[in-house]
Order: sequence, then C-alpha cells, then structure tokens
Amino acid sequence: MALPLPPGLTHPEVAFLAEMELVTVVPRQRLEPIDLLGGKTPPLRPPHRTDLPLWLALLLKKQRRANILPPPWLHPASLADIIHRETKVTPEAFSEPPPAPARADVSQPGRARRQGVDQEGDDGGIIMSAPFRPACTADAPAGYLPYHWQEVAEALLAHAGDDVTAGTAGATVSSAGEVRGLIRDLVEVRAAKMRSSTAQLEGFGAGLMSLRGVGAMELAESRGFVLGVVDGVRRIGASVEGARREAEEEREGEESDEDMGI
Amino acid sequence: MPMYGDLGNKLVQHAKRTQNLAHLPSYQTELVRAVAREVRDLDKDVASLLEPFQGSFDPSAEQATACTLLVNHLSMRRNKRCLLAYHRTRTDKLEELVWSGSDVLDLAGQQTGGGNGGPVADSGGSSSLSPQEEDYFRQYGDLLAAYKGQWTDIDLTGSLEPPRDLFIDVRVLKDAGEIQTEYGAINLTKNSQFYVRQGDVERLIAQGYLQKLG
Amino acid sequence: MDIDDILREVDPTFHTIPQEKRDLQELTRAWTAERSAPELLPWPTSGLFERINDSIKHQIEKVEEMTGDMDPKTNFALIVIQTELERYRYLVRSYLRARIAKIDRHTLHYLSTDDLRARLSEMELAYATRHQALLHNHYLSSFLSSFPAGLQNLNDAAGGISMIETPDLDAAVFIRLLKDTFVTARGVDEDDAANMRESDIIILRWSDAKPLVEAGSAELV
Repeated sequence: MALPLPPGLTHPEVAFLAEMELVTVVPRQRLEPIDLLGGKTPPLRPPHRTDLPLWLALLLKKQRRANILPPPWLHPASLADIIHRETKVTPEAFSEPPPAPARADVSQPGRARRQGVDQEGDDGGIIMSAPFRPACTADAPAGYLPYHWQEVAEALLAHAGDDVTAGTAGATVSSAGEVRGLIRDLVEVRAAKMRSSTAQLEGFGAGLMSLRGVGAMELAESRGFVLGVVDGVRRIGASVEGARREAEEEREGEESDEDMGI
Repeated sequence: MPMYGDLGNKLVQHAKRTQNLAHLPSYQTELVRAVAREVRDLDKDVASLLEPFQGSFDPSAEQATACTLLVNHLSMRRNKRCLLAYHRTRTDKLEELVWSGSDVLDLAGQQTGGGNGGPVADSGGSSSLSPQEEDYFRQYGDLLAAYKGQWTDIDLTGSLEPPRDLFIDVRVLKDAGEIQTEYGAINLTKNSQFYVRQGDVERLIAQGYLQKLG
Repeated sequence: MDIDDILREVDPTFHTIPQEKRDLQELTRAWTAERSAPELLPWPTSGLFERINDSIKHQIEKVEEMTGDMDPKTNFALIVIQTELERYRYLVRSYLRARIAKIDRHTLHYLSTDDLRARLSEMELAYATRHQALLHNHYLSSFLSSFPAGLQNLNDAAGGISMIETPDLDAAVFIRLLKDTFVTARGVDEDDAANMRESDIIILRWSDAKPLVEAGSAELV
C-alpha cells in the first residue's frame, strides 16, 4: 500500500503544518538572506524584529542566534481572558477565531479590506489561510486562538520556554508553569466542548454542523470518531432519507402540475 | 457433498486472515483450483439445463429451471468475487512489500525461517508465493521503479513521517577520532559538542561514542 | 496610490504575494485536501508540481555546491536550506503517495471515464493503466483464464451490481470557508442551507462540500 495512513491529517502532520506559521524573532546575531524554496529570508540585524516560519525560528533559537517573541494571545492575561469567555460567555461554542487581517485599502482611504475576501486578482486569485495567514506573530491580536494555537504553544513552551516567560513587550514577566497550566486548562475546557458536540452528533439528522473556532490539533484528535459517527448516522438513515427525498420530489412534481393548471 | 460456495467462503476467510498478518501465508493452490473448477462445473450445468430449450427458454413457463439457473449464475459470480478478493488481498500485500523495499529474496528467506534464503524458485516449492505471484512481484517492482524514476529528487519510497530534527546537537562521550561528514572532517574529541546531521551520526550514537542533546 | 497598484497596472502578472509563497500555500492546501478527501482530486493543471520539482532539483544542486565549504556562515545557511528542502520533499512525497494509494484502491473506477482519467497526471495515468494490466494478467494466469469466456471480464455489472468499486462520495469531511458563502448540505432528516461566514469550520458530506472547494470558497482541513 502506497500510503498506510488513515484519511485526514495525523498528529505529527498537523504539528508539521503548524511549523509553517510565521512567528516574530529578535535576532542575536547577523544573518545574511538565504535563498529558500519558499523565498529569500529577510536579513537578520540585531535587534530588529523579523517574522520567520516557526521551523526556522526554532532552528535559530536552538543555535542561540535569536529569541522568539511569543504571540500576544499566549500571554497569561490573554489566555485567562479566553478561558473566561470559553467557560462563562459562550460555554457551548469555541471562542472566536482571530479576525481576518485587515489591510488598508489605498484606493478607498479609511476603509480596510479583509484579506482574502474580495481581492481576487491581487494575488492571482489565491486566498491565503492557516498556516500562511499571520496569526502567531508579535502583531497578532490578543484574546483570539488561531487555528494552530495548541501546536505553536507547545512548540514554544518546549523549545523557547525562556522567551515565553519573558513575556510580550511591556507585559509583566510570568512563569512557564503559569502558561503551561493555563494551556492545560484551555485544552480541557475545549475537549469537553468537543465531546458534547460529538454527543449531539448521535442524533445528527441535519446536513450542516459548524465547529467555528476549533483548532487543528483538536480536529485531528477527534476526526476519526466524529466523521465515523456522521457516516454511521447517514448509513443507518439511508432508507429514511431516500423515502423523504422521494416524497419531496413527488410533492414538487404535484406543485409544478398545479402551476401549469393541470 | 459440500454446498456450492463453501470453498469460496474458505478463500475469503484466508484473505481476511492475510490482511492482519505481517507476512504472506502460503498460496492456497488447491483451494483456488477447486473454486475455479466449481465455476466451470456450474457453467456446464447451465449449458445442459438450457440445452433442451434450444435458445427459446421462457422463464415464466419453466419457473423451477429458471430458479436453478439464477442460483447457478449467482454462485458463479460469487466464486469469482471470492477469487478476486483472495488474489487482490495478496497482491496488496506484495505491493506493500515492494514499497517497503523488500525483494523476492527476502520473501524466500522469510519463508524458510530467515535462513540463507536463495531464490524462491529454487527453494523446492516452499515459497509462500505462487509462480504467478512471483512474476507479479517483479513486474510491480519494475512499474514502481519506473514511476519513482520520474520523481528522483523526491525519493518516493522515503519516510512518510514528517521530517523532524534533521540536525541535532551531540556531545562526544569518548574519543572517536576523525569522521567524514558532508561538511568535511570533524575531529571527535571527548566532551566537545557539535551540531550535525542526524543521519551522519546515528551509528556513532548507537555505539555510545556520541550523546544526543536536548 | 499604492506602489503595488501601479506595478499591477504596468504588469498584470505582478502579485502582492510572491510566487514562492503562493506555491507553498497551494502545495500545502493540495496535500491537506488529498489526505482528507475520500476521492482522488484533480492533478493541478497550474504546473505547480512541475515548478516545485524543478526548484527542488536546483536546491539540491546548490546544496552539493555549498557542501564542503567549511565557512561557518555557509555552514549554517546549508543547515537551513537542507532542513527546508526535507520539508518540501516530504510534502510532495506524501501528496504523491496519497494519490497513488487512492488510484490503486479504485483503479478501474478512475480509468473508466474520460472525466475521471483527466484527474490523473500523465505519469499517474501511465502507472494506473499498467498496474491494471498487471493485475488483470495476474488474475488471468492465476484462475480467470480457466473461466467461461463470459465471466473473464473485470468490469461486468450483471445483476445490477457493478464489480467496479467506487469511493464513498458522501463520506463526511471537515472544511473551512475561505469567504462568506451560502452553503447547502443534505442530511438524513432534513437538508440544510445557510449563509456561513469566512473561517467557519463545517462538517458535511464531501459531495456537498466539493462544489465549494472547487469554486475556491472553501478548503478541506
């Protein structure tokens, strides 16, 4: 068999994808641009911040060539705020994903266009999305968990723990233990939501279910189970659905007969 | 006398078991022949049942015959499906072995209990593969090699695990002298530290000369 | 006026997002989609994989040129280049193998009509055709040739049941909307239709998701 893997991305594959998220580094050494397949890297000039893909930032970090600025949403205050919203404000839904990055629209001053929404042509029609839509840089908004939040948080805590505790610019210094604890709480709160939405799935007779705000790792975790339940409901209900469709078609047929005055 | 279809069932059970095995069990030559023979016998039955009617068979007038014909047809098709499923399960396994880089010699070795192997054809009928399967194994190997050859820079049979830690920090635990890496020679003196390609030093780590850090 | 806007007017091929970045987004998206969709998706006709394969080739040559240079600066650049190279090679490899696995599983199906055949790259089509021929020959030499002539086909559909297995197009998938979109989806008890928002992640049947993905309004996740 050419690919002995189940459909849908596995844990390691999702973690791999998350390493393409852009993060902000503060170089400790100069580094000339490198011609990569994904484009030339920007020159690194201490102490000027630069955005780089996570995999490269981690490589620089390991070599002590740079420090990583944690994204504002990873700050304890932001995490606590998100936990509050996930438990108290919208206990049945995941918290909102980050807003699509706004970009100043020069032709219409004062108006911002949402990137990727109505700008076909600018970018050859391609709409960028995670992990290529910046959501983990130092400019990312606090209070919103991006799609790869869990993987990025885990990677930063594991390999740049000292940077995470150094805090974002202007914020108070925190402990790695505090951030880890908050992340653990968040994972638990959201896992419970995932379980309750899968419980809903058992009686899932409708065609659409939204999991807005869910993270990539959370999807990978429950993919097999969730999709298995939905497919099971469909198979068991196949004859019911077939009968319903037939009845609907008949009704429509009658209506169009009436329309024609027959 | 066994019921028509019993042998087909046996084949499917063999196939089912094969799916869960790491190796390929022996090809069921006799069973395959018997199931195929059953198909030919059923076909002869059909011909002789229809013979008296000389092409003017009317199912509604001859319901008993019609019923027998239907059962025979279904049995033939069922046997065919069983044979296809059995052979397909085995070719899937063979293809898996080709993808993982095995060759026919490995298969022979596996069959003779990991001994010195020797080509399957010479192992005096102890091969778990039928001669047709041996042919298939080679032909699929050639096919895959041809497809792979179109993507030489990708290494199509390489790892399906996402790459991690291509380069690692190592500490030298005991003097190992000079080793050649693609960056040139490195002198491994005790307690020195290096950032090297993992693939270059895996053996030295296993041998206890180097220790992987962090 | 924005300098990008001026450039776009002068040169319609100018994009604010450089080609390499768009290619990586497309490659990653194609990989995720192929790993998630229950059926084989069309081979990109944009030349994406041909382009990426060429860049990989060049990059490998560059690594060979740089190798042996003991200047520590070059050395680190080489580490970065090789790390990235492995990432690209893995993505292309996993993508190609996900496709081959699907083609192998339902070969006759993907060879059965011109529309389906058009989803395969030229090399995949050659592979699938040859693979099917090998299998058929194997069946013939193992048992099929001893069958009555009428039973020797592999694509017979007597009794209304086709022997060609097909992928389950109604299998459930996850998609993310790339723009605000009106989504319709069939269910067991009722069908749904709703205006959904950009960034919504939805569970629905692949057959209902497919038109959205093809139109670029959604992506598989």
